[in-house]
Amino acid sequence: MANVPKNVAASASTLPLPSARSEKGEKERELVRLAQSGEHAAFEELVRRHQQRVFGLVNGILRRREDVEDVVQQVFLKVFVSLKRFDQRSAFSTWLYKISVNECWDYLRKKKVRPLMYEADLSEDQVARLDGVVSVDRPPESPSERAEVRDLLERLLEKLPDDDRQLLMLKEVEGFSVQELAEMLDLNVNTVKVRLFRSRARLMDVYKRRLESHASQPKSAEGKRV
Amino acid sequence: MTENSLTRNTGACPEFEPLLEDRLSGELGGGDAALVAEHLKSCAGCNAALDHVALSSRLLSLVEPAADPGPGFAHRTMARIRHAEALSADERSIWKPFVSLAWRFAVTTAVALALVITVDVGTHRDNSYVASNSASSEDAGLFPDTQSSPVERDDFLVPAGDVTHGSH
Repeated sequence: MANVPKNVAASASTLPLPSARSEKGEKERELVRLAQSGEHAAFEELVRRHQQRVFGLVNGILRRREDVEDVVQQVFLKVFVSLKRFDQRSAFSTWLYKISVNECWDYLRKKKVRPLMYEADLSEDQVARLDGVVSVDRPPESPSERAEVRDLLERLLEKLPDDDRQLLMLKEVEGFSVQELAEMLDLNVNTVKVRLFRSRARLMDVYKRRLESHASQPKSAEGKRV
Repeated sequence: MTENSLTRNTGACPEFEPLLEDRLSGELGGGDAALVAEHLKSCAGCNAALDHVALSSRLLSLVEPAADPGPGFAHRTMARIRHAEALSADERSIWKPFVSLAWRFAVTTAVALALVITVDVGTHRDNSYVASNSASSEDAGLFPDTQSSPVERDDFLVPAGDVTHGSH
């Protein structure tokens, strides 16, 4: 074991043991079987186990916090109704996430809106303030600064095409793995990686364009931008 | 097709984009890491693309993920499911069509009855109005007063004032 690279050893220590993973998977399969036989308590346990992730997924796509809970409930309702048809050939979570994605698209189609709209555009000053936080890797300290940064980032992300924004949100913010994204979106893993890389590039295009626009503005005598 | 991540040219070598993404995510290991490191020694395009997106992870780390909905969410969801189940059971009941038909019949009958009563009341009002108007009419002779009608035959035949009955 002395010759094992540090990064491999470090990552291996954080992974659950194969036996623990299979035990957890078996427990979940048993819960699904009980829920399929009509046990509400088993289904409620499945909801508790997966609600956080489904919330993250729906939040990553919709970004309308007032609608997220309603859509997530609708997801679990559909899962409950369709559960008897689930044959457990794939993991329950994979099937659940696919239903969640489809439910989000259905919701957006019915509402005929983009996931989140801001009326006012992001100004160069706002991007400059954001850059002051990001470029020196200094996390926002006060609650008001955190709220401002969060708001600015939302506006920045809004400039991206829906697919780019949702992919970045699900991967970088909500913590879904590339494998999970590939399964729920029915894509090849490499395709997901390429899309992610290009979505990052587009995000930085928007970000840097705003910064350059801010930098090119003339300054007043006091050194402030006019 | 709208421009999106698939059409965006990053300047990096397309076959290395998945590996560059792994490198950014910290998931590049083993032989792939060595391969990318070697490639970056000579590829300006991949180096520029990597520099361009380097801050993206830090930027996105400032966005807050969805908050945990809390323990009450599962209860609320199950309540909604039970409600939907009850509605569905009601829909599947074999008596439902008959109950529905009975309700429709009852409503129709009630409406018809209400119409009949309304028309009938209206008709009676009209008749009594006409009857009260006939008492002051000029054609009253056509409708002799029964009070002044002769009660006996003699009263009818003997003229008024002649009481001799022709006896002289």
